[in-house]
Amino acid sequence: MEKKKKENVFRKLARWTVRGLMGPKYEEKWFGKKEHEEKAVKYKNGVPDDSELIVSPARQIFQRFMERKFAVIAVFVVIAMFLIVFIGPYFMPKYYDAFTETTQVDLPPTMSFMAVPNELKNDIKSIDSYGSFSVGLSNAGKVYMWGVTRLGASGMDASHMPEEMSTKKIAFVAAGQDHCIAIAEDGTYYGWGSNRFGQIARTPETEANPNLELIPEEVENGQLDASQIKKVTCGYQASAILMKDGTLYIWGNKQTYANLDKFIGRKNIVDIDFTLNNVVGIDTKQTTVVTGVKGLYNMVRPNITAKATKISEYLNGRKITEIRTTSKNLCLLLDDGSICFAGDFEKDVVDIPPLEEGEKFVDIESGTYHYSGLTNKGNVYSFGGDHYYQSKVPSSVHNNAAKIYAGSFQSYAVDSNSKLIDKWGLKGYLFGTDGAGADIFERTIAGGKVTMTVGAIAVIIEIIIGVSIGLLSGYFGGWLDILLMRIAEVFSSIPLYPFMLILSSLLTQVALTQNQRLYMIMVILGVLGWPGFAYITRAQILVARESEYVTAAQAMGVKETRIAFKHILPNIISVILVNMTLSFAASMQTETSLSFLGFGVNYPQPSWGNMLTRASNATAAINFWWQWLFTSAILVFTTVCINTIGDTLRDVMDPKSSNDK
Amino acid sequence: MGRYILKRLLYMILVFFLLTFVLFCLYQMMPENRAYTDAKGAMAAYKHLPKEQQEAKFQELYLQYQRQYGTDTDNKVVLYLRWLGLYPFYDGHRSGIFTGDFGYSYEHAAPVVQVVGPHIRNSMLIGLFTEIAVLGITIPLGIKCAVKKGQRFDRSVQFLSLIGFSTPSFIIYILFIVFFCSILHLFPVSGMKTPGSTLTGFANVLDVLWHIALPTICLVFGSLASITRICRASMIDALSLDCIRTARAKGLKEKAVVYSHAWRNAIIPMVAIIVGGFFGIISGAMILETMFGFKGMGLLFISSVRTADYDMIMFLEVIYTFIGLFSNLVIDLTYGIVDPRVRISK
Repeated sequence: MEKKKKENVFRKLARWTVRGLMGPKYEEKWFGKKEHEEKAVKYKNGVPDDSELIVSPARQIFQRFMERKFAVIAVFVVIAMFLIVFIGPYFMPKYYDAFTETTQVDLPPTMSFMAVPNELKNDIKSIDSYGSFSVGLSNAGKVYMWGVTRLGASGMDASHMPEEMSTKKIAFVAAGQDHCIAIAEDGTYYGWGSNRFGQIARTPETEANPNLELIPEEVENGQLDASQIKKVTCGYQASAILMKDGTLYIWGNKQTYANLDKFIGRKNIVDIDFTLNNVVGIDTKQTTVVTGVKGLYNMVRPNITAKATKISEYLNGRKITEIRTTSKNLCLLLDDGSICFAGDFEKDVVDIPPLEEGEKFVDIESGTYHYSGLTNKGNVYSFGGDHYYQSKVPSSVHNNAAKIYAGSFQSYAVDSNSKLIDKWGLKGYLFGTDGAGADIFERTIAGGKVTMTVGAIAVIIEIIIGVSIGLLSGYFGGWLDILLMRIAEVFSSIPLYPFMLILSSLLTQVALTQNQRLYMIMVILGVLGWPGFAYITRAQILVARESEYVTAAQAMGVKETRIAFKHILPNIISVILVNMTLSFAASMQTETSLSFLGFGVNYPQPSWGNMLTRASNATAAINFWWQWLFTSAILVFTTVCINTIGDTLRDVMDPKSSNDK
Repeated sequence: MGRYILKRLLYMILVFFLLTFVLFCLYQMMPENRAYTDAKGAMAAYKHLPKEQQEAKFQELYLQYQRQYGTDTDNKVVLYLRWLGLYPFYDGHRSGIFTGDFGYSYEHAAPVVQVVGPHIRNSMLIGLFTEIAVLGITIPLGIKCAVKKGQRFDRSVQFLSLIGFSTPSFIIYILFIVFFCSILHLFPVSGMKTPGSTLTGFANVLDVLWHIALPTICLVFGSLASITRICRASMIDALSLDCIRTARAKGLKEKAVVYSHAWRNAIIPMVAIIVGGFFGIISGAMILETMFGFKGMGLLFISSVRTADYDMIMFLEVIYTFIGLFSNLVIDLTYGIVDPRVRISK
């Protein structure tokens, strides 16, 4: 007799997958003859051997499961989801739960943060940005904007530039968090975007607000000589224009910039910039950082990690030529081409790389957290904050950069022909950002890990308690059965949500860490959910004990333990498997509902439930649609797939259903 | 029959005491101390006293309030019995849920029974509409799907109900709110009536109906899928019974087979859902009511938990537990009526 060659497990799996997903036609095409056809023609001593046609129940269930296309897809989706959610976090090393970024709040899905318009690409004069949008100026004097310009719930669009601007040649342009200002070559001033804090113009409302410094009249009326302007820059809610003769015009929100007062009417300023809360500048002496606040930024360090020394000691006769700021700290360019830092740095920073021999910095530009420095050899180095990988310079800018521009989380390198060489930094957000400015895509992955873990562990606890109680109850019967079933009844008559709410509010009274709270939620869900499994197990055992094959086994003298494990357990397992899948989806739903109400997983730890909390407000739900749509779609998709698997399993395990099909 | 009910009632009472005791003990863990807060508040009148006297006065007041509230002991059982009204307070009087004193809501500054009244009414208002609509839609749908099992109609309903079943209810509510309130502007987002309106008679009724329309629609759609699935499954089981084959073999009309023979079998597993659903009305819909700011039982419970309104939560828990146990009893009794094979006299 010819011995049948056994098929490799992997090949078999692939064959089944192809059959399940694409149909038997492709299976035949790719794997040769169908399995069952091969079997049908076996003979043993001239008699058809049908022993291989009889398949074990498990095998039969598997075969019938694989015939359901949707179920097979669902299995793959759920496995993929698990992998993404559990392996995904390893690919986002910069992610942490409590991340907040005020300049990136409530941004819609976009990938346009570095999308420099094609007309501008070869003719760049300047690029500036502070928040979610960038503004660029071409040598021809035209202004371009890209990134997210529609800001906040009000729907204010910062891309609406004044119309007469297109007729003028613009000389300077700068962008703030939600406003832009521009100066034409004839000195005309333009401002657009938000004017809530008097950033761009004088209005009756801003005049009535004592906390605002109004825009100087000579600026607003266009009386400046554009050729004498040295620098135009914008802060969070303020703007400044610096003339070559040292005269400074500065206006905006004095509550954001407490020391803005100290700079009004100054005529001896060489350079100026804004940190998040302070205005900083250099005066004509060029030996200190002018802040108007005693002791602020008077210590400097040669690189980010070095120990700070007094600025006068460090300079030792050298002069400061340029000052650039990020949110928390500032960078000074000295006249000998070296740089130094003042202020505190947060975690996750990149230090300055060692420069080549004879190389020195000629220009420094800064974003919200990072700096980009241009050297005399045309190299660009980025350092400082690196959360969005904005300090990772591409190799294409090696030795050929003539000018650099930086803003918020991006840097742009431009060659000597004003042509864009390359750009690096934050591209955008696939799913947008939430109310704290965190990337929703990352939070969805991290939240999925939490939600799926809670669901899975809760089900495992349910199974452990439920099955063991069901086993005891069904196997021993008698008074133990009655007692256990009464207990199960008590547990199932506990009103789930009210009880969960009380327990969860009790948990807030106890000082628990984030993870301990998570474990408690899993345990509570599991402990309240076990009676279902206990009933099923008990019923299965009772049925099995009465059935003929167990009676037969007993009559043959098979040991009790062997009967329990070899005959009864397999029957229970299939039923438990079905209920496990359905319970898993149900636990995930309970967890998300609780977290949505604020009684499950709490912010900052993400879960697919508490990420949607904001959507309970109708206005927020429509204005910030991306904050709930993607997450809930993924949640629903996952639970649909899990339930499909459960349903299909139940169908294929039910011997009755085969006759109907 | 009478003996069975009596037995069940006894069991119910036992479980009731057990559950309320557990909840009571859980709530004792809350760091809330009313006597202390009130004593501190009352001390304002004794500011002029010297320090030692103030301290003594405070201790005196604290003890007085503790005795008044019955918290002058740490014995959980005594506290529980006092709450039930079975154990006397310090001054010898008894006051608890058995003497009709369910407690006082500090948050609403009113006896809890008074606060709960309108909330139950509101919850029952939308609950009743919802339950009728849900059963009116799902039962015919489930029957039709079971009869046409495997056909295109059944498969599309199955597909939709799978999605609906897998969607957490709050996502359905979000979708409806966005669609009906933010895009179509058809319904108001929250409230029971137009704020500041003085409508009377029919106009008032219309106004209230307009306000409760969207919550009701949401609630209906939130529970359609699962009940349709259950109805279909039990109907399929019923249709595969031998008696159905016999009925068909006898030459009965298909209508008679489905609606008389099969449905009477299919309704048995449905009893729990239908009866439980009607009792569930009283409990209110927690998530829905929170999202719509609808002053029902669910919202009352959540706001009480948030503000740690101790007496309120205990009273609501008593109601919830009672409803749960009582509906179980009614379900079992209903089985006896619906299914002649179930004999509940034993």
